Amino acid sequence: MIQPQTTKQSPLIQVQNLTKTYRVPIRPEGLSASVKSLLHPQYSQVTAVNGINFSIEAGAMVGLIGPNGAGKTTTLKMLSGLLHPSAGTATVAGHIPWQRHPDYLRRISMVMGNKSQMLWDIPPLDSFRVLGEVYAVPGADFRRTLDELIDLLEMQDLLAKPVRNLSLGERMKCELTASLLHRPAVLFLDEPTLGLDVSMQLRLRRFLAEYNQRRGVTIILTSHYMADVLALCPRVILIHHGQLVYDGELNGLARKLAPFKMLRIVLSSEVVAPEDLPPLPAGAEVAALEGNILTLRVPRAEAPALTARLLQTLAVADLTVEDPPIEAVMDQIYTEGAA
Amino acid sequence: MMRSGFALMRGLWLSWLQYRSFFFILAFGWMIAPLIYLFVWSTAAGDSSIAGLTRGEFVAYYLVLIIVNQVTYAQTNWTVGDLIRYGQMNQVLLRPIPPIFDALASEFAGKVVYLVFDLPIVALLALILRPEMDFQLVNALAFIPALALAWALRFFWGYALALLAFWSTRADALLTLQDSLIFLLAGQVAPVALLPAGMQLAARILPFRYMVAFPVEVLTGHLAGADLWLGFAAQGSWLILAFVLYVVLWRTGLRRYTAVGG
Amino acid sequence: MRPLHLIAAFMRASFQEESAYRANFFISLLTSLLNLATGVLGIVVLFGQIEMVQGWTLAATLALLGVYLTVSALRQLFIGPSLEALAGMDGEIWTGAFDFTVLRPVDTQFLASFRKWRWFAVIDLLLGVGVLVVAVVLLEVSLSLWQILSFLLTLFAGMSILYAILLAFAALIFWSPGVLFTWIFDGIFQMGRYPLGMYPGWLKLILTWVVPVGVITTIPAEALLGSLTPTNLLTSLGLAAVLVTAASILFRIGLRRYASASS
Repeated sequence: MIQPQTTKQSPLIQVQNLTKTYRVPIRPEGLSASVKSLLHPQYSQVTAVNGINFSIEAGAMVGLIGPNGAGKTTTLKMLSGLLHPSAGTATVAGHIPWQRHPDYLRRISMVMGNKSQMLWDIPPLDSFRVLGEVYAVPGADFRRTLDELIDLLEMQDLLAKPVRNLSLGERMKCELTASLLHRPAVLFLDEPTLGLDVSMQLRLRRFLAEYNQRRGVTIILTSHYMADVLALCPRVILIHHGQLVYDGELNGLARKLAPFKMLRIVLSSEVVAPEDLPPLPAGAEVAALEGNILTLRVPRAEAPALTARLLQTLAVADLTVEDPPIEAVMDQIYTEGAA
Repeated sequence: MMRSGFALMRGLWLSWLQYRSFFFILAFGWMIAPLIYLFVWSTAAGDSSIAGLTRGEFVAYYLVLIIVNQVTYAQTNWTVGDLIRYGQMNQVLLRPIPPIFDALASEFAGKVVYLVFDLPIVALLALILRPEMDFQLVNALAFIPALALAWALRFFWGYALALLAFWSTRADALLTLQDSLIFLLAGQVAPVALLPAGMQLAARILPFRYMVAFPVEVLTGHLAGADLWLGFAAQGSWLILAFVLYVVLWRTGLRRYTAVGG
Repeated sequence: MRPLHLIAAFMRASFQEESAYRANFFISLLTSLLNLATGVLGIVVLFGQIEMVQGWTLAATLALLGVYLTVSALRQLFIGPSLEALAGMDGEIWTGAFDFTVLRPVDTQFLASFRKWRWFAVIDLLLGVGVLVVAVVLLEVSLSLWQILSFLLTLFAGMSILYAILLAFAALIFWSPGVLFTWIFDGIFQMGRYPLGMYPGWLKLILTWVVPVGVITTIPAEALLGSLTPTNLLTSLGLAAVLVTAASILFRIGLRRYASASS
């Protein structure tokens, strides 16, 4: 596994052997089984997070990726103090998160894509004021930070409308503003671009990148949109079945786990079915065949040699060699598990 | 192991209860006011009597009132009013059966569940509190039509009021007013005969007494001769009026509803 | 100092939220006035037939009604709305927004108790206090300092007990969502409209030790009327201290459970 370089300064976030298990009662079907379970209740252990380790430097932007139920949100909740782990330790900004010390809580913030922290019936500004009071942000600082955020997120016309009249994208701008009013050191983002249209996604990504640069906020982000992760996170941590499977660059992940190249061949004439193709060299797999466009998956190391052979065996009008799309890699990992 | 056994049992009981609990809690809520006045009046009567009613007779009066109130209680605000308010009337109108049968079905179904809760509790209270009632067969026989008419009156009156939702979604504010009037004039705060003169007159003229108190008074034997017949006459008249009101409001409301487009 | 600033901020935000819905105002006003009228008329009808019940006269019972309305109004002012925002039908625990509340650098119980204010309840409060004033005038006695002080003290104790009960019910949501105890309690609480003395002995015991409704309304009324016994005063204060502590502990245990068991 590729580990980030450690610097002299100790990392802002250090996680060791973090584990979270749940006891779930087993509910059997059928009458006699139900009666039996009444007297002898059975429980099964569900391990959401299984001994993960990583450290993150201050000012980093890290993506936490993995399939649904992998343990990403659970990890995020443990780091923000919402959940107590079953085992392991974590230190964030010098605190143990689940002790929920007020000083710690003032230094972090969380945005959840499917939940809102805004007061619904009144303009966002009023929610911001309450939060300013809750986090004890001094008046002048509050004004300055708010103005900066309004400017960066282009929120001038939103401020007077009740939150329930805002679109999803506008509301997400408010959520981000709300989370940054107290200048946290760490920002946890759980699916922040969920349901947003493409242009809004772009705008928010731009904002996050800029704010990270400007203010040095450490950002940990979970997202299903690979575009988010690709655009924002130089480093990704892949969690699968509660375990840390990869920690490093996203492209490194593709290279390591999907050591393939995609060959996109435009054939001179249409081929109806794969059987109609001339026999292909060993190692080349048909990924797709549509009309006269053939997509092959070949091992990376053998790509040059195979390309040459293919040019001899097939009637090729055009050929391109590409890296597999990230989504395909992730899909493969999610379904087959990392090697 | 014991603790987890109990926990599971509790869990099972809770989920069964949660379904029925909604109805039971409603029934419980409707029982509270009559119970309070049962206690207050019977304590006030003490060893003697108030206006000719002894402690035991107050107990009997209110226990019967609880059952009568439950049987006649109009749920039409929910079964009809809410349908109109939340725009679900269309589905009901599409059916070949007039919507009123829907409301009637809910009436009977709901009442059965409530009474399953009420009757054992009333029986238990009767054991503890020792009601006294002068039981006469003729009263019991008169009670049945009185109760039936009371139910019908309260149902059609309630249905008519619920139909006001066709005109204004805020019409349910009238319900608050009606609840207060029923509380004061339909024998809950006190048997009608014990009300001060002005209120008593209002009670005898307005329909509310005939929705709840009248059958109770018939059964507990406090009405005789002319009073009884006058009562039935008033009850019958108000029932006819309520029915006419229902028909008129239904026809005009429906016209308005379909014209506006639901 | 800061808790006060915080409460002021919550008050302001709640007022703004409430103002967003103007239509409800008149209906709420109607309901409040009807509630008052039926309460008063109930007492008037009762005492139209009899002078005194178990030592309670019309004026005294009216004073009790005043206490009941005042207590109800104070509950609706902030305790009720705040706890309901947490554990009620559309509450945070249901919508999942509770995570945000837990993230704040402010004590969660404090937030759960003071966060939402329903300003309309001030009108109910004025009506309740109005009834109290009328009752005291009808009693034709001048109130001693001790009566006023002991009234305020027992009223505070009664409100604390009410708070503790509602907090405990709210805390139960950490174990089993959809618990309807608050509704049942609301029914029993109605019994606080009439003096404990008017209920039979067994009910009196229940309304003192099982569901302390009597302690919440009757004891402060007795204080105002000058018939407060030392036993009742001590019971009231003791019960308040014990119940508030127990409910707070239950709430914290529930929070701990939420942090361990939720996913």
